[in-house]
Amino acid sequence: MSSSRLVNLRTARQVKPMLSLDRAEARTRVINLYKAWYRQIPQIAIDYDLPKTQSECKKKLKEMFMKNKDVKDIRIIDALVIKGQMELKETVQVWKQKHGIMAFWAPTVEPKPKDFMGKFLDGHN
Amino acid sequence: MLQAGSAVRGLCKAIRPSAPIVKAADKAMAAHALPATLVLSRSQSNKPVVADNRVEVFVDDIPVMVEPGTTVLQAAAMAGVEIPRFCYHERLSVAGNCRMCLVEVEKAAKPVAACAMPVMKGWRIKTNSEMTRKAREGVMEFLLINHPLDCPICDQGGECDLQDQSMAFGSDRTRFLDPKRAVEDKNLGPLVKTIMTRCIHCTRCVRFASEVAGVEDLGTTGRGNSMEIGTYVEKMLLSELSGNVIDLCPVGALTSKPYSFSARPWELRRTDSIDVFDALGSNITVNHRTGEVLRILPKTNEDINEEWLADKARFACDGLKRQRLVAPMVKDSKGDLRPCEWEDALIVAATALQEANGSVAAVAGGQADAEALTALRDLVYRLGGQHVCTEEVFPDNGSGTDLRSNYLLNSSIAGMEEADLVVFIGTNPRYVVLVLPCMSPTPGAWCWCCLVCHQPQHLGDSSATVEQLCAGTHAFSSKLAAAKRPMIIVGQALLGQSQGGVLYAKICQLANKLRGSVEPSWRVLNVLHRVASQVAALDLGYKAGVAAVRQQKPKVLFLLGADEGAITRSDLPADTTVIYQGSHGDAGAAMADIVLPGATYTEKTATYVNTEGRAQTTLAAITPPGYAREDWKIIRAISEVLLCVFNVVAHEEPMNVMLQSVGAARVDGSAVLRPALLQLEDYYMTDVVSRASPTMAKCIAAVKKEKSNRYHSK
Repeated sequence: MSSSRLVNLRTARQVKPMLSLDRAEARTRVINLYKAWYRQIPQIAIDYDLPKTQSECKKKLKEMFMKNKDVKDIRIIDALVIKGQMELKETVQVWKQKHGIMAFWAPTVEPKPKDFMGKFLDGHN
Repeated sequence: MLQAGSAVRGLCKAIRPSAPIVKAADKAMAAHALPATLVLSRSQSNKPVVADNRVEVFVDDIPVMVEPGTTVLQAAAMAGVEIPRFCYHERLSVAGNCRMCLVEVEKAAKPVAACAMPVMKGWRIKTNSEMTRKAREGVMEFLLINHPLDCPICDQGGECDLQDQSMAFGSDRTRFLDPKRAVEDKNLGPLVKTIMTRCIHCTRCVRFASEVAGVEDLGTTGRGNSMEIGTYVEKMLLSELSGNVIDLCPVGALTSKPYSFSARPWELRRTDSIDVFDALGSNITVNHRTGEVLRILPKTNEDINEEWLADKARFACDGLKRQRLVAPMVKDSKGDLRPCEWEDALIVAATALQEANGSVAAVAGGQADAEALTALRDLVYRLGGQHVCTEEVFPDNGSGTDLRSNYLLNSSIAGMEEADLVVFIGTNPRYVVLVLPCMSPTPGAWCWCCLVCHQPQHLGDSSATVEQLCAGTHAFSSKLAAAKRPMIIVGQALLGQSQGGVLYAKICQLANKLRGSVEPSWRVLNVLHRVASQVAALDLGYKAGVAAVRQQKPKVLFLLGADEGAITRSDLPADTTVIYQGSHGDAGAAMADIVLPGATYTEKTATYVNTEGRAQTTLAAITPPGYAREDWKIIRAISEVLLCVFNVVAHEEPMNVMLQSVGAARVDGSAVLRPALLQLEDYYMTDVVSRASPTMAKCIAAVKKEKSNRYHSK
């Protein structure tokens, strides 16, 4: 093991954990959060009168979790879990409004053109 | 056809015009006794014998070895110490009148003016001693006695030498409480604004006007406190280089009229670019703010424009905002051009190109960039067309444009310095291409001796002069034959006339003959182009001149910024579809069926090749207005539509091999050697941008009005 990695390890050990002490614990928290969201989806769909089916909502839920699948740092995973819990609470308590939930699907965002003609007609260089 | 004086001035370093020369030339021009051919000669062998006779001096205890005759200021610069100055300028003669550069020299009784004092062996120069600092503070105090405290409303604020140096070297208070003097402002024309109360009498503008611009209109009157810079009588500064005095002025006495009160230097963003108003390729800095070009300043390039810039390049930038094409347009059923979407315009253009069935031709104008030229050439060839042309004409007899050296300024602009004799044929470099002169910074070098030795000579106005030179029967021939490094500079305008080919052949003969006696690596023949795109177009295989298009009568004609009227509607059959792509609504757009809005040089990153064959790139400073797009992208978009919609299969047909006969033609008397641009008012508007520029219109009006001035030198 190179000396710089040793230094990293030593530094990493000194960092104060946020919630989880190891990866397994962090993973458990993530899965618990996922399950909590999953169970609430039927009620959320009713509360907000979402124009989406349950399977579409579940697909979006999975997509949002999978967006962070490459995060390795336990502290960041914990932080994301905490934010996810706050989001869930806001949603379940109906502190949000319908468009706040619909923003997960970003319906008004148009993808930027990638090909030459698309960019040309769009006025992008 | 040699335009001597002005040409001379135009000549860069080698041909530095002496003041009298220029004056003589200008007079000649005004009187229409036009020198058809001008000749400049310089006495030879100005190369010093190499021997190490350098002297050692100490600048702030740093030892430097310098040539004898070096000034204290230059020696300090070599040691990396900058001495403050106002009147001294590297490319102008030394005046030594501002006294700001006073420095202490050990054992000298008084401080010495660093810009004018040659160093002596072993001198110890102290640029930061108590005496030096006191001297500077005293000078600054004197300079500020009469300088108004109007920095907040002064256009120079933020880029003012006086402001900077008074902060760095001045005192924090004044001891002079008397009223300041006021000086009447002078009217120098529509470009240079004068606030003469601010003048500190450095005389840089006076020296520039007489030494570089060759107009000896500026001078000083009065002495002491009543000294004034001006023209003495009410007169305009009639020079196409007048804008440079704005850069030279170290204070706010001479500022730019079009730019006045529009921005502060710290608000501007600066983008380095290339000028395209002539074929010189001057380096420029585009100053812009909030998507608008506010001014254009020269950027130093020792090989091209040094640090000068012509007025058209500097002030025509307001033409970039007017008359712009901002949306694609297509003719409707009534024959009126209607703005439309890009999709529609591209489909209409592609349909026309596809239905032309190979009867396609293209004409490129003077400001087209190399990328667009390449894209257009490939498009036309792939559609089966055979003619891609430029508006500018170049003779195609002999090897024509097949050999690059046939159409380049082979000796290079900087290389003119080496020439000992220059013959201009059919060109007035003063207005065609400002090959700007410079003053060599090294003292005692050739520039001074050529001031003395250059004698421009007018060889003749008629084509017979060329024939005589060629045959060796002209009185000047012996001189020409004796020259070691002669240059013959042929104007593109001359070659464009019907007799151009024959004249060019004769001139080539003459150049070939001279090559026998000159140094093997020296290039005698040089062509001076008028427009920025021409060399790139010829390099890319464009044919010079639109004769082939006239003959072919194509079904679709693609004009790439071609606005000079080389080809008009009357040259084409009624069913020809004309596609115009360019930045401004001018002659080209007026005759078009489909208009595609393109970008100007400040809005695209593009390559231009100057008259000496040097490729340089402009950088996009701002975005094109409205729906305008970069030029090569428009052409590529058409290609994509052709490919996707019509599935046009690319096929390249071999170019017709044009057999050219080089007959032993004789020049008849109709060939005119007189350059087309002889008068200053003709200089200002030569292309779409400058034609759209209100500032250029004001310049023309002012120059014309100036001719009725009774003080105008005829």
